[in-house]
Amino acid sequence: MDWINITNAAINGIVLGLLLALPALAVTLVFGIARFPHAAVGDYMTFGAYTAILVQSFMSASLVAAALIASAATAFLSLFFYAWVFRSLSQRSPVSSLIASIGVAFAVRSVITFFAGQSQYVIEAPLVRAWNFSGVRILPTDLYVAATAVLALAAVFFMLHFTAFGRRMRAVADNPELAAASGIRVREVMITLSVIVGAFCGLGGMLMGFKAVVLPELGWELILPIFASVILGGIGSPVGAVCGMILFGISQEIASLYVGASYKLVLAFVVLLLVLLIRPQGMFGKIIAVR
Amino acid sequence: MSLLTLSGVAGGYGDVDIVTGINMHVDAREIVTIAGTNGAGKSTLIKAVMGYLPRLSGRIEFDGHDLRSLSTEKRAGIGISYVPQVRNIFSTLTVLENLQVVEKVADSRKRIAEMFDMFPALASRRRTQAGNLSGGERQQLAFARALMSSPRLILLDEPSAALSPALTELVFAEVRKLPATGAAVLMVEQRARQALAFSDRGYILDSGKIVLTDTGSALLANEKMAELYLGSKPVEPVQAS
Ligand SMILES: Nc1ncnc2c1ncn2[C@@H]1O[C@H](COP(=O)(O)OP(=O)(O)O)[C@@H](O)[C@H]1O
Ligand SMILES: [Mg+2]
Repeated sequence: MDWINITNAAINGIVLGLLLALPALAVTLVFGIARFPHAAVGDYMTFGAYTAILVQSFMSASLVAAALIASAATAFLSLFFYAWVFRSLSQRSPVSSLIASIGVAFAVRSVITFFAGQSQYVIEAPLVRAWNFSGVRILPTDLYVAATAVLALAAVFFMLHFTAFGRRMRAVADNPELAAASGIRVREVMITLSVIVGAFCGLGGMLMGFKAVVLPELGWELILPIFASVILGGIGSPVGAVCGMILFGISQEIASLYVGASYKLVLAFVVLLLVLLIRPQGMFGKIIAVR
Repeated sequence: MSLLTLSGVAGGYGDVDIVTGINMHVDAREIVTIAGTNGAGKSTLIKAVMGYLPRLSGRIEFDGHDLRSLSTEKRAGIGISYVPQVRNIFSTLTVLENLQVVEKVADSRKRIAEMFDMFPALASRRRTQAGNLSGGERQQLAFARALMSSPRLILLDEPSAALSPALTELVFAEVRKLPATGAAVLMVEQRARQALAFSDRGYILDSGKIVLTDTGSALLANEKMAELYLGSKPVEPVQAS
């Protein structure tokens, strides 16, 4: 294996990692603020991907329109499940919410399967040639995917650290009782969190549709790598989630050069395990504290 | 009319009532201390006023509001502040953010400047993550955060816990100044003798019930009671747990 192949694989891995960083960030925010591992983010992604396909086939071929509508629809879905399921479980143990989120994941997937069946769909993107720099290939589509993900991630980091709203979110994550005693409406924070989670998963799902065929299992199969990367980054740390996901993407894509597609996931997990053996708390100290 | 009135209040966390038959009141700009042994239900009583108890009966009125119909954040909005016994600051936020985060402050910037005047030690550390403050600085920040909203009632749960005797003096000196800011104080204290000495009135709680109430000085003068609930020596030598 020469360095050109490795570089190409690494580039693929970074793009994959960046786009999966969207749901990973959602998971880490939910964990830090609502305090449970949200197992439905994968299926929210699937929902976003199918929404984008639906928009493309019935309304407009515009990718921007598809992305916006997919994000908005998934945000709405996430809000719906917050209001219907997670809100009333917030006083219970995190295990109740985790189990409920697995149930939500199943429900979303079943409904999608019911309407879409097992046929494979793809998200239409203009065919473009890769730029070739003496063997190192960069697809313009990948560049757009990565740029979109980076923009969305940057927006959340800006929101968290430089706006009053973000400050409230971090306060609730740090100490919900004291936040309420400071006059912060915790429920409002949870509602906004649900919207961010849905929008990010919807966008992530649509971007994933550029890299893979869209099937009802698209997101569910990603949930383990996403959780693993969140743990790798340090649970509850937004920066950690993004970096963990990128490291995972790179490991997986480079591994695929050596072991073939079916084992690349295994090798990526080995890398995660090794990092966790050296740093059990994950790569980053907690930015958002978890009790 | 009193600022805060509890009538026939009972409540707890699960099936059993931790506190029962509570009748008490706090007048405007008064300092009232709740004393009693560990596990008597002092913190539970404070939590009832702030709205954290899952199970509650009886009436709690604050300035004409029926508190039981209000959420914790609404109670904060009508002028009640709370400094918990533990975890009384946002340790992952900076000192400045700990103050900015308080809602419903008319002129937040001006109020923050006033807080930094009142607690100069905090001013120089405004960009520090609150978790890195010393014990005394933390307690000052907890007070400053609670004072941000210019409250009319401050609930203090063992403000001197885990502080050295010297720092305790400083914290008590701050508590004494609170009525001048317009706030009444309802305080739980392990160092009850010290606290009652500057309290207008006190309540003694035992197994969830009020067993005695009087002015601070009268409670200290009641030797039998004092020995039973406040420790036998005039100055309590034991550190609060
Ligand atoms: N969150 C809680 N859940 C269940 N029981 C609690 C909780 N907090 C306190 N208790 C119980 O309530 C009783 C009174 O506790 P507390 O009000 O903290 O006492 P104090 O502050 O007077 O030391 C204790 O028996 C304690 O075990
Ligand atoms: Mg207590």
